This record gives sequence, structure tokens and C-alpha cells, in this order.
Amino acid sequence: MSSLMKFIGVDKIQKAIQIFQENGGLKASLIKMLRNDELKSGTLVGVDKYGNRYYENNAYFVGRNRWIEYADHYWLDYNASQIPAEWYGWMHYKTDLIPTKDPNRPHHRWMLDHTENMTGTSGQYTPYSTNRPKIEAWIPPKK
Amino acid sequence: MLRTPLHRALLPCVREALSVSRASASTAPEKIEVFIDDKRVLVEPGTTVLQAAALVGVEIPRFCYHERLAVAGNCRMCLVEVEKSPKPVAACAMPVMKGWRVKTNSEMTKKAREGVMEFLLVNHPLDCPICDQGGECDLQDQSMAFGSDRSRFTDIDHSGKRAVEDKDIGPLVKTIMTRCIHCTRCIRFASEVAGIDDLGTTGRGNDMQVGTYVEKMFLSELSGNIIDLCPVGALTSKPYSFTARPWETRKTESVDVHDAIGSNIVVSTRTGEVLRILPRVNEEVNEEWLSDKSRFAYDGLRRQRLISPMLKVGGQLAPVDWEDALVSCARALVEAGPHSAAIVGGLADAESLIALKDLFNRLGSEQLFTEEQFPVDGAATDLRSSYILNNKITGVEEADLILLVGTNPRFEAPLLNARIRKSYVHNELDIALIGPQLNLTYDYTHVGEGPDVLKQLVSESHPFARKLKAAKKPMIILGAQQLKRPDGAAILASVQQISQKLGKNKDGWKVLNVLQQTASQVAALDLGYKTNARSILENGSNPPKVLFLLGADEGVIQRSDLPASTYVIYQGHHGDVGASMADAVLPGATYTEKQGTYVNTEGRAQQTLVAVTPPGMAREDWKIIRALSEVSGYKLDFDTLAEVRLRLEQVAPNLVKYDEVEEANFFKEASELNKDASAKLGNESFDVKLKNLEDFYMTNSISRASETMAKCVQAVMKQKQSKYYEAQSA
Amino acid sequence: MLRNILKGTPALQQNVNSLLRLSTVETGIQEKKNYATESEAAIQTTKSGLPDKREQRPYSPFQTPMNKVDYALARVDDVLNWGRKNSMWPLTFGLACCAVEMMHIAAPRYDMDRYGVVFRASPRQADVIIVAGTLTNKMAPALRLVYDQMPEPRWVISMGSCANGGGYYHYSYSVVRGCDRIVPVDIYVPGCPPTAEALMYGILQLQKKVKRMNVAQMWYRK
Repeated sequence: MSSLMKFIGVDKIQKAIQIFQENGGLKASLIKMLRNDELKSGTLVGVDKYGNRYYENNAYFVGRNRWIEYADHYWLDYNASQIPAEWYGWMHYKTDLIPTKDPNRPHHRWMLDHTENMTGTSGQYTPYSTNRPKIEAWIPPKK
Repeated sequence: MLRTPLHRALLPCVREALSVSRASASTAPEKIEVFIDDKRVLVEPGTTVLQAAALVGVEIPRFCYHERLAVAGNCRMCLVEVEKSPKPVAACAMPVMKGWRVKTNSEMTKKAREGVMEFLLVNHPLDCPICDQGGECDLQDQSMAFGSDRSRFTDIDHSGKRAVEDKDIGPLVKTIMTRCIHCTRCIRFASEVAGIDDLGTTGRGNDMQVGTYVEKMFLSELSGNIIDLCPVGALTSKPYSFTARPWETRKTESVDVHDAIGSNIVVSTRTGEVLRILPRVNEEVNEEWLSDKSRFAYDGLRRQRLISPMLKVGGQLAPVDWEDALVSCARALVEAGPHSAAIVGGLADAESLIALKDLFNRLGSEQLFTEEQFPVDGAATDLRSSYILNNKITGVEEADLILLVGTNPRFEAPLLNARIRKSYVHNELDIALIGPQLNLTYDYTHVGEGPDVLKQLVSESHPFARKLKAAKKPMIILGAQQLKRPDGAAILASVQQISQKLGKNKDGWKVLNVLQQTASQVAALDLGYKTNARSILENGSNPPKVLFLLGADEGVIQRSDLPASTYVIYQGHHGDVGASMADAVLPGATYTEKQGTYVNTEGRAQQTLVAVTPPGMAREDWKIIRALSEVSGYKLDFDTLAEVRLRLEQVAPNLVKYDEVEEANFFKEASELNKDASAKLGNESFDVKLKNLEDFYMTNSISRASETMAKCVQAVMKQKQSKYYEAQSA
Repeated sequence: MLRNILKGTPALQQNVNSLLRLSTVETGIQEKKNYATESEAAIQTTKSGLPDKREQRPYSPFQTPMNKVDYALARVDDVLNWGRKNSMWPLTFGLACCAVEMMHIAAPRYDMDRYGVVFRASPRQADVIIVAGTLTNKMAPALRLVYDQMPEPRWVISMGSCANGGGYYHYSYSVVRGCDRIVPVDIYVPGCPPTAEALMYGILQLQKKVKRMNVAQMWYRK
């Protein structure tokens, strides 16, 4: 029976319906497709403090089997620099342990909060010259 | 003091040769035939082998020989083989004999050169990578070209090379005496050209050292030239040290504006910064020398600069945009109309002068003045002969008697003074001086202190008058600063009369010379600027409503002289006297930043070229005036430099004939017109502004902003405290 | 996309159940620690569908229109920029080892086509030039020529240390010390050579930059 269904492709439809369901119904799925350009199904392995959700599904080949859904408030304005350093290693297959499960992660008081790339916003880094100016300007005497 | 040429005393063979040449010259100049590398050449008797080789384009390597200095013959690099001579001869010192066959490429010559090179390098440190001369070093070049390709120098017992203590000879010249190869060029320059016998050698053989005997500063206004003369890196420039390699810099040929001589210079720049200034050879102006102010004041181009237009906001100058500055200046100018006046300073180029004059004439004002004053009686500045150096600078070499009136050429025009000294040493020139006793680096007859001597010379009652009359080619050089005196017109008139009398029957030899002090003065007078700036204060009921200062920084008119309502506009490149009294400041360009025409004191038009761009919002001066004219509604008809120069040509054609001297005439008429003034001679004796070396260094807004120049002044003051200081020697 | 349907899916219910089990241990709102990962409880809250309270970032960077016309033109700009940023055709300008990394972004792993980025061998139809590698003095005129042939609007991505500032060859006699001496650069991608991922990120940054272009609004404001 199942082989017959597989043969005529009904199982594909079933799977599609399952993915749509997993992603929260038709509307939510369409929004996800708009945001992420794809719809995947996988295990939610963690959430970082910015609200980004990390998924894994080893049925996909390596490189596609771990992914992130950026927090909803980023909407379409997401980019890879919004992944904090803790999750970077997991996303890049440097480790298989997610931050909460890894006992060897450093924890220090002085560690700074993660910031995303601010280029193009008012918070962007602007370099300044540390050279002495070549021309010394005249400063009018104060009266 | 050195009078007879040193080489005659040093080298009897040369003296012999010269006496031979003199004898033959009196009969008939017979040319000698010699062969250089089998090339036939006919030369005058007395010509050295090196000179003869130069005639056929054969370059003989040399270290100690220099065209403008006496022959020393001590480096031995110029050894060449002469056929039938058992030993190689020193080409720089040996006069050629008839039929000599000189071989500059033979085995013997090569071996001799390699040997000399080896000896020089034995004690020369191998610090080329950190040596400032690297890339322009004669020793480097010649050891590549003529030296051996391998070294026999093995310091197996680590005894080290010879080392010599460095000397401190002032803030301009850095000495690394270990590098010295004892060519004695610097010593010869100091005693022959500069006339300051401070440098010399001590010790013999391996212990020989070049130095100042006792630790002292090399007190000369031409000291920078020993840097150029030094074939190795023993004497290098202190301000330039470790800044750049010669191949990294961009060179721009330009003209100097620190004095009225208009020395030709090369400006070396890199990344928009002037790194150093070197002289450029111009036989008619500066030969190949340059005064220290012209050479080292370039760091003043970086300091105290005006880089943005400024307007007075609440009694304080504040930077603004060009638009605001131009609009408020234009408004003031239009409101003032004919009641505006302009004063131009000593560093203004002819282009901005003509633009400013055209603008003011369109406003209806004729009140355009130069900062330097000049008498306005009689012919005044209408006739060119009364304000230029009519005999030209090269005239000094032909003259047999020079009378200096109220001037100190040593500091006002160091290169003119170097010429006078050259003529004094080589041509038996006699010099006389009316004015305060000065050290001019040569002997002179002190004729008198004040104008009364002039009166006696006019009436020929002074004993010196006879000597003047006897001279074949007399020159009178009148310092322009004396013409600022109340009796300036009378002084000029008397000198004109004396010159007029002396000039008779001298077929075209002009006697009268006026030595200007600033680079812009001749061009300004050629363009018809007036010279009595103080007169704008004299018509008391009608003071100018707008005073436009174009680089006027000498404070001819103080802020306190003007009513508070006068709007003062300052256009220039340095924040100095002028900018501090201004209500509006327009930032201009210095001479290294614009293409401008300058006319030197002999009436030679020369142009500067753009070496770097003006800093910040500063712009070329004529462009600022052109923009101002458009904003104020009196648009000038030129948009490009070529069009400005076309306009210059309409007014004064000589200003665009570059590198040519436009000679003046109407000497007699000028003298006649000024005759009435001659009676009013005062009694006060002449005084010159630049008496001592410390006065020389800071004379205009650029050199006043220069740290190097300030260090020089300090060093001279310190030297004066030293127990080795002799007032007579410097 | 829908091709994921072809892949197997784990049982979601299991997953949720296990997470629920964990969440019974810790309850309540987590304090913000200096540590970017929330605990499993947060996963639970996320799962339970609580709305994200933070303000959503708008799509358009033009949020403060001066008036109605300006508003309309801001939307025109948005549409224009949307089109431009999603079809950036780079002109390949591979000069050295960086070019190999540049090739990688076209390959399946990084697959630049999905962003509408397609290599175009002609400057006339290219939007962006990727200067990948050491720009030598000899190549500089060619770069300028090719850049000049590109139609406006055009962008430049400087890839790798050599193109950014001469890099390893900064002191060479024959190398331009940064391609920004020849052409105006929009995006500098650091690295020697940068990974394909870094270049990808650079392209995404350029897309963000394109999104901020306000041609129509500036035309009106002028």
C-alpha cells in the first residue's frame, strides 16, 4: 500500500501537508517562505537571547542541515552578523554541542554583549585619522 | 680676508699655465690641439684636461673638483692616463699641453680609479641604507660606475673603520663626519663664496678632520649650499633628514619669493607636502646657490596657514563657507564703492595684482597701494628705470666699482652679495658703502653714514667722487628701504643725478640700480600700483570704508589707525599681522601652490609652478578675486590663467615675457623730473633694517611661521654668547 | 522551498514532548544574562507562540517622509531598489587567488544565483564589479576602462587585502596600493583571500546599501 502511494506520489503531498502544519499553518508558512525563501522542517535545538531560533534536521545534507530562523522583529532585515558568537561555532560545524549543553564555554564578567554589524546605520563605526594634520591651521587670537 | 684666488697659491702649475695664457692672450689667442680618447679638440691655453674632456662630452669622475670653486686636486678621482707620461695625471688640475693624447678609458685609468675608490671606501662607512644622501650620492654613483666589482676589505680582527666625531654647526646642516672623504668643497665654498672662513681641516693623513676648529655655528646666510656641494652624506640637511628618498619625490621647477632676487628653485614634494627646496641653475640669477631663507623656510608653508574663509562673528573670527565669506565681502565692497582701498604685500603674484586692480577700478577706486613705500614726487614710479636693478645681477661681474647706498645686500639679497664677492675675489672689484658699518663678507671703503655724502657726491666735492669718476663701469646700488624715509625722493633724485653724470660716455652702461626687498614690488609698480599707503589716512574726513589687504603683513596700517567702521578684508595664506586685524579672511595660496608671475628686482619675469595644492578651502589668489568680482556684480572678463595673462600683457607686456629682462630707459628724463626733490635731503644717517644674521631669517609671513628659521635665530643668538664669537667674522 | 518536502521529517510531536519535559524543570521568565543563549525554557515560550514584543523592523529604510509626494517617491525608490538589489550582475574581475574564492560563490554550496547574482562577462550589462585580487599598475588602466564602460548605477566590491590596500604587495613597485585609487569602492571584503562566505556577506551588504538608495527622493527634494 505504502509502496503504491509512494509510486503515485501521494506521500509527497502528505509530507508537504506535514511541513505546512509544523510551520504553523498555511499563512505562517507563506510568511516564512517570504522571509526565508524556503520552508524546512526540523528540530528546534535552541533559541538565543535575541530570539533567533536554531534548527537542525540531519536528513538534509551537511551544509543545509543546520539553519536559523531570525527573530521575528528583524523581519526582512536580517543578516549573518545577528548570530551571536556562541552559536557561530555550532552553525559552522565547529562543534556539535549547542551553547547550553557545552560545559567548556568561557564565561567571564568582561565579555561584551554581541552586536550585529551596524554598517549603514547611525551606529556604524567611522574610522578617524590618527595622523597629525600636515597643515597646521592658524587659530585667530582670542580677544 | 681671501682676495687672491686660492688655486693660484695652491697649485704653481696652474699659475704657470695661467701666466702663459695671459702672455699669449696679449699677443694672439692661439688654440692648442689635444686628443681626448682620440677625439681632436682645440682648446684655449690653460684649459685643464677635465675641461677639455667636457668639451667633447667625456665625463671624468671627480669629487673635489667643482666648476665654481677653486681647484684643490686632493681627491685623485679624476686621474687619467696621458700618453708618454709615466704616471696618471689629475685631470682637474693639469692644464693641457700641445698634442697631448689623453686616455680616459684605458686600463691604467681604470686601475687608477679603482684604486682611488678603494682607498676612499676603506674608511667610508657602509651606512647607505640610512644615509640621507642615498640616491643622490656621488660616491655611490661613482663606485658603481668606476669602482671595482669586488672588495678586498676584510676586517678580520674587527678593528673597525675610521670614525670621526660629528660636529654641531647649527640647526640647518647635519654633519656625519665619518662619511667625509676630505674633498674640501665645503671649506672652499665657505672661504670663497660665502666669505666666512669658519671651516677648515685639522690633523694630517688618517687623522685629518674637516670642522670648525672650535665648536661653533657656521654663521653664514648661504650655509645650505654646502649640503648640495658635499659629494657624500657628510653634510646633509637637518630639517629634511630621514624624510624622503630623491626618487620618491616629485620635482617642480619654481621661483623663490623670499627676496627680490627671484632665485630659481626646485620644489620636491611628496603626498601634497613640500619636503625640501633646492636651487636650480640659472647663471643670470642665482648661479647654483640659494640663500638659507629660501631653502629652509618651507616648513613655514605648513604652519599658521589660513585654510578656511573666516568672518567676524561677535568680535571673533570664525570659519565660514566660501559663499558666506564672498557674499559679505562683496556686500561691503559694493557699499563702499569708490571709498575702498587696497594694500598689497610682498608675496603677491602679478595675476592677483592685476585682478585686484581691475576689480577696484571697476568699483571706482584708484586707491591701490603697495606695502613697500616709494616716493611719489616727480616721476615717481612712472619711469621704470627708477625702481629696478638696471645693470642686472650679472652686471656685477662686469663692474669695477660698486657703491652701496643704504643697503645691506648680504641679508637683503644674499645671492647678489655672493656675486659681488665673486667679482671682488676674481675681478678686483672695489666696493664702497654709504650707510652703517656692516660686515659684507668682503672689504669695502666706508664713505659715509648719511645723505650728506650724497650731497657732496652730487657736487663732486667729496674725495670719493674722483674715484667714482675714474671707474670704467661703476654701479650704484640704492636700497629701496631708504626711499621710505621722508626725504626718500631727495635720496633717489641725488643718486639719479650722480648716476646720470657717471653714465655719460659709457655706451649704454647704466649706473643706477635700486635693490628691492620684496618679490612682488616690481610687478606691482609695473602694473601701476601706488606707493604711499599711509596717504589713505591723511585725508582725514574720508577714510576708506573697506580696506582690502592682499597679503599685506608688515603692518603699514594698523587697526588702530582706522576708524572702527572700516571693514578690513585680508586675503593671504598665513595668519599674521594682516589676518589678525581683519573682519573677513579669504585663504589664498603660497608660491608653491599656484602658478604665478613674479618679477625680480632686475625686472625679470619668472613664474612659479604648482607643486602642491592649496590646503583646505584655500584657493589660488586671482581666482578668489575673480569670484569676488562676480558676486559683487563687477565681473572680471577672465576665467582662465591664460586669459589673466592676456590681460597682464595688455597692461605690462614685460610681465609675460618669462625669463627675459625688460630693460628700462628714460634715465635722463627720470632724473630731470626728480631734480626739484634733491634739495630736500635730510641729515639723518642711513639705517638698514637687516643688520645682523639674526635679522635675516624672519622677514615675511612664511619665514615668520617657520620653526627652522626660529631655530636659526636662536642658534645665532646663542653663538653670540659664545666665547669664540668674533663680531668681525660674522 | 517545497523541495524540502522530498526530505524526511522527524516526528514533531516527539520533539515538542521532549522539550515540554525539560521545561517543567525551569519556569518563569529568564533574566537577561551576559550570555546570548536562553535556556530551554525560552524554546518553550517560543514554541508556545507568544508574540515577539520587540518592534518589527520595517522593510523600507525611508520612514520619515516630509510630505505626501515624498512618501510616494519613497515607495518608488523602494520598488526600484528592490529590483536592483535582487538582480545584481557582477562583472568578474578576477586578478589573483581571490578569484578562486569568487568562483566558489557561484558553485552550488554558496549558490549566488539564489540572490539573483549572475556573473556577466560584459561590462555593458553588469551592475557591480568584483575586483578580486592584486591590482597591478599594468592592470589599473584596464580596470578603469572596464569600470567606465559599466552603465550607471554601478557598484564596486573590492575583494581581499590586495584590492583593499595593496595587501602583501603594498610595498611592491608594481602594485596599486588599493583599487580605491582607481575606482570608487562601495564594499571592502577583508581577508587574504576572503572566504566565499565572506564575499557572499559582502554582496548582501551591498544589497543593503542598494536598498538605501534614494534617487527619486533626491530628485524631488532638489
